[in-house]
Amino acid sequence: MNAILTVDGLSKKFGGVRAVDGCSLAVEQGTITGLIGPNGSGKTTVFNIITGYLRGDEGAVAFAGRDVTGFDTGRLYRHGLSRTFQQARVFPQLTVLENLVVAGGYSLWHLFSRRIRRADRERAEYLLAEFRLAAMAEAPAAELSYGQRKLLEFAAVLMSEPRLVLLDEPTAGVNPVMIETMEHHVRERHAAGTTFLIVEHDMTFVMRLCDPIVVLDAGRPIFSGSPAAVQHSPVVLDAYLGS
Amino acid sequence: MHALIQGVIFGVLTAGVYALMASGQTLIFGIMKVINLAQGAMVILGAYLAYQLFTSFGIDPFLAIPITTVLMFGLGVAIQLVFLRPLRAQDKSELSLLITFAVALLIEGVLSVTWRTTDRSINTSYANASWTILGYQITTVRLWAFLLSLAVLGLLFLLLNRTRFGRAVRAVVQNPESARLLGVEAQRVSAVGFGIGAATAAAAGSVYGLVYPFNPGSHYDLISRLLSIVVLGGMGSVGGAVIAAVIVSTSSAIVASTVSPAWSEMTFFVILILVLLVRPQGLFGTVGRGAI
Amino acid sequence: MSSVDASVERASGALRGAAAIAGPLRGAVFFGALIVTPMFGLQHWVLNMLVFVLMFAVMSSAWNLVGGFAGYPSLGHAAFFGIGAYTIGLIFRNHALTNGYEPFLWLPVIGLVGALIGWPIAAISMRTRADVFAIVTITFLFVVQTLAFNLRGITGGSQGFAMPIAPFPAATFELPFYYVLLALLAFTAGLTFAIIRSKLGLSLASVRADEDKARGIGVPTTGVKVLAFSISVGLTAMVGGVWAYYESFVYPQFAVDPLITIAIVLMTFLGGRATLWGPIVGAFILEGGQQYLAYELGGSQFYLIAYALVFLLIMLFLPRGILPTIAERRRQRVRRSTGGATPPPSLLPASPMRPAALDGDGRTSGINMRSAQAKS
Repeated sequence: MNAILTVDGLSKKFGGVRAVDGCSLAVEQGTITGLIGPNGSGKTTVFNIITGYLRGDEGAVAFAGRDVTGFDTGRLYRHGLSRTFQQARVFPQLTVLENLVVAGGYSLWHLFSRRIRRADRERAEYLLAEFRLAAMAEAPAAELSYGQRKLLEFAAVLMSEPRLVLLDEPTAGVNPVMIETMEHHVRERHAAGTTFLIVEHDMTFVMRLCDPIVVLDAGRPIFSGSPAAVQHSPVVLDAYLGS
Repeated sequence: MHALIQGVIFGVLTAGVYALMASGQTLIFGIMKVINLAQGAMVILGAYLAYQLFTSFGIDPFLAIPITTVLMFGLGVAIQLVFLRPLRAQDKSELSLLITFAVALLIEGVLSVTWRTTDRSINTSYANASWTILGYQITTVRLWAFLLSLAVLGLLFLLLNRTRFGRAVRAVVQNPESARLLGVEAQRVSAVGFGIGAATAAAAGSVYGLVYPFNPGSHYDLISRLLSIVVLGGMGSVGGAVIAAVIVSTSSAIVASTVSPAWSEMTFFVILILVLLVRPQGLFGTVGRGAI
Repeated sequence: MSSVDASVERASGALRGAAAIAGPLRGAVFFGALIVTPMFGLQHWVLNMLVFVLMFAVMSSAWNLVGGFAGYPSLGHAAFFGIGAYTIGLIFRNHALTNGYEPFLWLPVIGLVGALIGWPIAAISMRTRADVFAIVTITFLFVVQTLAFNLRGITGGSQGFAMPIAPFPAATFELPFYYVLLALLAFTAGLTFAIIRSKLGLSLASVRADEDKARGIGVPTTGVKVLAFSISVGLTAMVGGVWAYYESFVYPQFAVDPLITIAIVLMTFLGGRATLWGPIVGAFILEGGQQYLAYELGGSQFYLIAYALVFLLIMLFLPRGILPTIAERRRQRVRRSTGGATPPPSLLPASPMRPAALDGDGRTSGINMRSAQAKS
C-alpha cells in the first residue's frame, strides 16, 4: 500500500516546551486514519503543521510523493490536501451556495467569469443534495445552526475534490444525531476514494470509524494499529492514564 | 565625514523624543490592538498646552510636564471610553483606524480654532543655546530632550515591569484570553493604557515644542514617522519602538546632513517599505501564520 | 420533474428575472434624470455643486471597491487624486491645448498612471493585514503631499501650477465637466456591478468575511486585493485630472488633501459599504451639505471640526450605513410577517428505523411528554 501522506522527524518547540518531538507517521491511501492522544500529546500541533498553519522547526512532510514541507495552506489546498476547523469556519455573509462555490478553486483568470456559473451550480447542487442543505442554498450561512455549519464546511472542502481531508475534531460541540450524519458522510466519501485523517477526542466515534489509529504521546507516535489493537494495548492505556 | 557624524549625533538626540512618542503608540497597539492615528495630534496638543503654559504663566515646558501629562491622561481615557469602547469586536479593527483618524482631525480642528494656524514654538531662554564639542554641535535643548525622554521611558519601563498594573498590561498584551480568565479587567487596562499613551504624548509634546516649530497640521508629519517606527520595531513592543526610533531617526538625520533635508522626509517611508518587504513583523514583532 | 416543480421553477425564474431588471432599471432612471437635469437652466452655483457631487460620487464608489468590498480601508486615496491632477498638468505643460475636449481624452492614460503607481504599493502593503495597509496608505499620502510641496520643478511647489483654461463658453462652462463626470460615474457604477456579479466579487467578499480562511481554501487573496486597489486608485486619479482642468489651477494643499480621503470614506460609510448605490447616495447627501458648510463656515477651522464630528457620529451610530440598514429592517419585517424563520430541511438520511429529525422540532419534548403520559 502506498502512503499518501508521510511525516518524517517533525519537531516543534513553543518556548521551552517540545510540543512535537521527532514525530514520524504515515497515512495510507484509501484509509480513514485516526489520530488520537491525551491532552498535550501534540496532535493539534502536528495537524497544524501538516495543513500549513504552522511551520515545523525540523522535519519534512510529503504528500502524494511530493515534498510539501513549508507549503502554505492555500497551496496545499490546491494540491488536494484540505482541512476543516474545530469551530466550523464558514463565510457568514455569503450564501450557502456561495460558500461552496468559493471553495471550488479557481485561478486568477477565472476572476472575470460570472459569480456563480451554471457549472458551479451543478457541482454544488450535488453536494447540497447529499448534505441536505439544498433548501438553504440562497440563505446566508450566518443563518445556519452550528451543526449545519459543520456540514457546510465539510461539504465545501469537498468541492475541490481533495485526495486527503483532515478533519479537526468533527464531533466537537455536535449532538449525537449529527455525529451519525458526519460519520455517514465520511464513509460515503471514503467509499468514493478520499483518504481521511481525523483528530478526535471522542473515542467511540474513532473506534467505530477509523482504521488504523495512530496514538500520539509527548509529541511522537507510540502506537499504531486497528481499533481492537489500540484498545488492548498497555502502552496506550499507560499514556492515557499516566504512570 | 564631519557631516555624517554630526548627522548621527543629531539623529540619536532626536531619537529620544521619537522613542517617547512611539512608545505610547506601540503600547496602545499592544493592549488594544488598535493603531492610534491620533497619537501625532496628541503630541501636538501637548506642545500647544506647554506653549500656552509658557506664554501665559512663564512655566518652563519641562516643568509643565507633570501638568500636561495628567491632563492628557484624562483626555486619553475619555477618548477610549467614548469612541473606542462602544465598538463591537468584529468592527473594531476596521473602524478604530478611521475613528482615531477622525479624532486626530478633530484635535487638529480644535487647535486651529483656538490657536490659529501660524507656526508656534516655545522660545525659552535656552532655546538656541548649544555646545560645541570636538567640532560637533550639540544643541542644549535636544540634549535635555534626550535625557528627559530617557527618564520618562525609564519610568514607563518601571511601570510595566515592576507594578501590578504593569503586569496586567503585559498579560493582556501577550494573551488577552488568559488574562481575562485570570481576572484582569481588559476594559480597565485598555482605558488606562490609552491614557498612558496620551500622557507620554503630552511629555513628548513639551519637548517637541521646544525643538521644532509646530502648527495644527504638524501631526501628519509626525504620525507617518511614528507609524514607520512602530512597524519597524514590531507592533506592540516598547523596546522595539525605542530601537527603531534610533534607527529611523539616525538614518533620517544622516540623509538630511549628507544629501538634503527634503529627502530626509522620504527616509522613513523607504524604511517602512523595506521592512514590509523583508520582515513584515518588524524587529521584535511576533509572526502569525494565519489564525487557527 | 413533476408539473408542480416545473411551474415553481418557472415562477422563481420569473422572480429572478424581475429582480434582475429592477437593478438596471433603477440605474437607467437615475442616470436618465441626471442627463436631463442641466437642461432645466440651472444656476451656476447649482451646476458647480453638482460637478463636485459627481466627483465625490465617483471617488466614493471607487474607494468602495477596496474599502468596502475588500474590507481594506485605504486612507491615502487623496494622494492618487493629486497624482491625477499633477499628471494632467504635466501633460499640458509642454503641450498646447488643441481642442477644449482634449484633456478628457487623456483621462484613460491618467487612470492607467494611477493604477500603475498603485499596483506596487498594494502588492507590498496588502500581503499582511489591513492595519499595515492603512499605515502604508496614510504614509504614502504624506509622502505625496511632501513631494508636491518640494518638487518645485515638477509641481510648482506651494505656488502651484496653472492648467490651460478650458475654452468653453462661460454660460455653459460646467456642462462638459458635468457630463464627463457623469459618464465616469456610469462607468464606475457599471464596473462595480460587473465586479459584484463576477468571481472577483465573490473572492473579495470571502476576503472580507474571513481572509485567513479564504487564503486557506486557495482563493487568490493578494491578487484580488491588488486588482481592486489598482482599479480604485486609477478611477480616483481620473477624477483628479478632471478637477485640475476644471479649476485651472492646482495648489498642493488642495490637490493632496486628507480631507478628500475623509470625505469619501465618510460618504461610503454613510451610504453603505460594499453596496452598489451606497457611496453614490452618501455622496449626494453629504456633498450638498459640505458645500453649504464650506460656504457658511468659510475658513477651514470649524469645517474640520464639523467634519470630524459628523464622521465620528456616523461611525458610532450608523456604522452599517443607510442602505444596508434599510435592507436589514425590510428583512426583519418580512421575517416577522411570515411568523418566524422557516425550519431547516431534514439533515439526516431518513431510514426505516428512525424518522428524519431536526434540531428544535420537538422530538425530545415529544418523547418526554409521551413517557410522562405512559407513566400516568
